[in-house]
Amino acid sequence: MQEHVTQDPEERQQETSGRVDGVPSTREGQVQTQALEAKGQKATGERKPIFGLEKVGVAYGGVPAVREVDFPIYQHQITALIGPSGCGKSTLIRCLNRMNDLIPAAKVTGKVNYHGEDLYGSDVDPVQVRKRIGMVFQKPNPFPKSIYDNIAFGPRVLGQKGDMDEIVESALRRGALWDEVKDRLKTNAFGMSGGQQQRLCIARALATDPDVILMDEPCSALDPISTGRIEDLMLELRENYSIVIVTHNMQQAARVSNMTAFFTVELDEDEKHRTGRVVEYDDTEKVFTNPSDERTEAYVTGKVG
Amino acid sequence: MDSNRQQFQEELRQLEVSALGGLDLVAGSLDRALETVQERDIELASMVIADDDRIDGRYLEVHQGILSLLALQAPVAGDLRVVAALLHVIKHVERMGDQCVNMAKMVPLAGHDPPKDEELLQNIGRMGELARSLVIQSGQAFQRRDVGLAVDLVRQDDEIDRLNKACFRRALEIGDDPDEREWAMHMMLIARCLERIGDNCVDIGEQTAFVVTGLFREFEDASHPELAPQPPGA
Amino acid sequence: MSVAEAGIARLAVERASRGQQVKDLIFRAALLLSLGVGFITLGVLLVDVTLDGGSSLSWDFITNFPSRISPERSGVQSAVVGTLLLMVTTALFIVPVGVATAIYLEEYADRDRWWNRLIEVNIQNLAAVPSVVYGLLGLAFIVRAPLSLGTVVLAGALTLGLLVLPVVIVVAREAIRAVPSSIREGSLALGATHWQTIWKQTLPGSLPGIATGVILALSRAIGETAPLLVIGAALFTRFNPNDVTSDQFTALPLTILRFVTDADSEYQTLGAAAILVLLAILVVMNAGAVYLRNRYEQKW
Repeated sequence: MQEHVTQDPEERQQETSGRVDGVPSTREGQVQTQALEAKGQKATGERKPIFGLEKVGVAYGGVPAVREVDFPIYQHQITALIGPSGCGKSTLIRCLNRMNDLIPAAKVTGKVNYHGEDLYGSDVDPVQVRKRIGMVFQKPNPFPKSIYDNIAFGPRVLGQKGDMDEIVESALRRGALWDEVKDRLKTNAFGMSGGQQQRLCIARALATDPDVILMDEPCSALDPISTGRIEDLMLELRENYSIVIVTHNMQQAARVSNMTAFFTVELDEDEKHRTGRVVEYDDTEKVFTNPSDERTEAYVTGKVG
Repeated sequence: MDSNRQQFQEELRQLEVSALGGLDLVAGSLDRALETVQERDIELASMVIADDDRIDGRYLEVHQGILSLLALQAPVAGDLRVVAALLHVIKHVERMGDQCVNMAKMVPLAGHDPPKDEELLQNIGRMGELARSLVIQSGQAFQRRDVGLAVDLVRQDDEIDRLNKACFRRALEIGDDPDEREWAMHMMLIARCLERIGDNCVDIGEQTAFVVTGLFREFEDASHPELAPQPPGA
Repeated sequence: MSVAEAGIARLAVERASRGQQVKDLIFRAALLLSLGVGFITLGVLLVDVTLDGGSSLSWDFITNFPSRISPERSGVQSAVVGTLLLMVTTALFIVPVGVATAIYLEEYADRDRWWNRLIEVNIQNLAAVPSVVYGLLGLAFIVRAPLSLGTVVLAGALTLGLLVLPVVIVVAREAIRAVPSSIREGSLALGATHWQTIWKQTLPGSLPGIATGVILALSRAIGETAPLLVIGAALFTRFNPNDVTSDQFTALPLTILRFVTDADSEYQTLGAAAILVLLAILVVMNAGAVYLRNRYEQKW
């Protein structure tokens, strides 16, 4: 079966939907474009990459965790990373905001481009990287401080100028939390429910005015209603931010994302390690209706993993 | 694969067997309908009409099964395409059953008199054979996921269409006798039913191609003749 | 299950529980006995001391200076002031040094380096070294060259500080380790540097634990006699120390020692009273530690 991993999904879209020069030439192609646009998907040619991953790999103490990751991530889209446990999706997402720097044994190979510049360049300040690329974790992790101080923490340590009250309010509004907490900003964040805490963590990440929000299984510790609210929030945020989400929940990936990357874990050629790699990266709709690779098909239909 | 998924795969397989089994029911109905036409057997005709209930029942069964799978199991990718295709397939099965009933209904109207035109009757017989072959082949193509076999259905359907046009011309030339003209009209309607059965089978072939390739392409669209796919080897 | 089987099963359960009950009782009795030994010993001690010295306790006792001549006018003011000054100075020494060491070991040290592993192992050992050895250490290097402070309050505080430093380091490390990594990750992901994260998240989060540990360390230091003896502190003085550089100082344990070893039984009684004063200070300190822990403890 043809290896679609390194091929630009835009080229592939032209092939399969009979598009010539970006204009659909078959009725089927036209129907596809309409469906994609209805979902907030940019049509071919309008999507701009924000990250470019070139043969990116991560190894812990010499043991490769994920290899040869090679695809662009687009702006103002939600990109989902799915795959079985241990396939390296969390490891990869941490490359995007240099959180892997914190693990001494971790070594990143390949090139991670952000707006065309090498994220791991020698003159790049990881603090600035994390200001512009925020992260939300699997288990909500509010600080043991007041709601106000939680939100204000980022701007304060980064020395952001401006009226802190306004910054906090703006972040809470964007995080769809303002109305619920505006009367108790000074109370401890631990007093909130799980779903609220996670929205607080999202608002906290928004306070530093980032470009990108990375989410590592943000809803796996939450109940379905909180999950639904956060998914709604993600769709709202897509207007102004680019979102990359790791998720175990395929239905969630299908519901919210525009692009999906499927990772799998396979034995290396040298038969020594099991390493994660990207099998397929395409429009979410295609991955869930007609995936190109049989491994993707096996995973999304539940036959495997 | 955990047991829930295994059970789902089994249910999906059963649903397919059930839907394709409908095609066997249609073949049986078609055989009897054709015999009715050849033998002018009115009793057999009423059997065909009554038996259509079985096909309708099969339709409802499969339809309900599809709804259940969609609601409870959220199939995706290949599984989803199969489920969607089965919805179309069972609809075509039901339509073909209705066509057999329509054919059987013509017989009492055509009366007990001997046929007025042997050639017309032979054409219809030939069309009937082809239609039966198409019904069986469309089921095989779907079951084996054989796109080549599916595309080949077009060839036989084209033959049915040609014979249909031939019947039409014979009917026009049949003469001034009102009895003969009435008989010819009835035969024409029977031919039309067979032609519709052929088209339904080609549609099932298209569903087969959809399941395999993920793309829906009409093999032969009356308004876009240039899109007709080439059969393999052409 | 038939009626007979049910009957047998019930009997079996009952028999097991009776045997089990006896075992339970024996076990509980043994526990209470062990508890009793400790409590009774302490109780006897307290009762004895109170009976002995309780009558001598008065405000005068605390505010008077000790006298060699008249026991009825002796007091422990110099000892109390000396002890308090020592404790404050010790605290000022052990808190920054102990916490800094703990931060280094938990946040910065690379566990793979041999010298870090050496430090880790030795901190545990240091806590087990007898206090008189610390006294020798203080005498050799703090009182005499190279620090050459002489026998002053500061020297005593430093010596005691070295003695209890391992305790502070261990407790501070525990408190820092208790801060979940999710908090650190969250802070770093927002763009804080490692140091900002330590200063604004980790330390504030571990402060209650550290404070409790410091108070417990001081409770230990307050009762240490040997190190102070070895560095040459006086057993009692008639004056309060002026500041940390004063060489006129004593501490409660030393004065207690002086009183109880006096031939005169009246002084021995004063010794019992002084013990009560020391115990009272200890109780207040530990109560403070418990209060701090209950009020401010961070439940992660």
